[in-house]
Amino acid sequence: MFEKMKELIAEQLNCPAEEIKMESSFKEDLGADSLDLFELVMSLEDTYGVEIPSEELEQLTTVESVVDYLKQKGVEA
Amino acid sequence: MKSEVTELLGIKYPIIQGGMAWVAEHNLAAAVSNAGGFGIIGAANAPAEWVRDEIRKAKELTDKPFGVNVMLLSQHADEVAQAVAEEGVKAVTTGAGSPEKYMKMWKEAGILVIPVVASVALARRMERVGADALVAEGMESGGHIGAQTTMTLVPQIVDAVNIPVIAAGGIADGRGFAAARMLGADAVQMGTRFIVSKESIVHEAYKERVLKARDIDSEVTGMSTGHPVRCLRNQMTREYLKLEKEGASFEELELMTLGTLRKAVVEGDVTRGTVMAGQSAGLVKQEQTCSEMIEEIMDQAKKLLKEA
Repeated sequence: MFEKMKELIAEQLNCPAEEIKMESSFKEDLGADSLDLFELVMSLEDTYGVEIPSEELEQLTTVESVVDYLKQKGVEA
Repeated sequence: MKSEVTELLGIKYPIIQGGMAWVAEHNLAAAVSNAGGFGIIGAANAPAEWVRDEIRKAKELTDKPFGVNVMLLSQHADEVAQAVAEEGVKAVTTGAGSPEKYMKMWKEAGILVIPVVASVALARRMERVGADALVAEGMESGGHIGAQTTMTLVPQIVDAVNIPVIAAGGIADGRGFAAARMLGADAVQMGTRFIVSKESIVHEAYKERVLKARDIDSEVTGMSTGHPVRCLRNQMTREYLKLEKEGASFEELELMTLGTLRKAVVEGDVTRGTVMAGQSAGLVKQEQTCSEMIEEIMDQAKKLLKEA
């Protein structure tokens, strides 16, 4: 899942894919602001067919947290 | 002028008053609603009791529909959201994020939900979770702002959603209104012009500062903190921007602005206080009643739209 997500994040945040690590923080390492995060969440929802309620957005701070979150929701690929 | 928004809100003119902190209280909201527009009480960081009281006072001054703006980052947001549902108003606008968690409660209370958005993705998301309309707010606005201009943001949001879009940011007269309609907006939201209305309780010195503002007088503070605020240039913004340039910490900068909006609006300290206003301050030249403002805007807009 990490490889595919790396591509998605790189595209949404306009940052080089090689800079994206599991432990990268969207805000601190990748320079995303709150609007970028909404953009990212919308494309995650489209790509993985899940719904992410905004109360749960706060816990999605790093790439790893998103991967874990999606696994919890039963996303496999 | 009929529009989807006038039908939705049960108002005469598609002009909504912005939910400005400290400025948008019951006198102004009621005056705008009585003038045929849609007045809004700005809850900002106020506690629920204040909001409840303001709603009741507004209801004494008008039998026309009005709304409340709920600032989602407020520490009192939960209780304010609850109070609004209990008191009952026609619509809620929301700022600083997504109101998803209150959506169900407000809908059940028969309240329309109109989030203020500054990006297409958030607009799409709000439509999906059941928003009744949207305010697309450009960075010409006063107070907390996004990064896109009204000219570019409004048509992109209009293209992305199927609910009515209310344009905000930089609109202060019939020309701005007509332009917004051309961009595909159904209605407009204005803040700055209503600051100087006769019914506005804002300190005279603040009104004077807005009336005298030139095109270049607005500054954006806090760009580096991720919470940019547009206000009129003064001693306070000069010092703030200097500190910000020197790389002051978020905490240091926040501390500097603490309570400064109140200082300007209530005490009239326009040198040390934060005089929030939009870029349209340069267009606002006259203190009038809300009704005079709205009638003038509509007359001008109708003429322009007929010629267009």
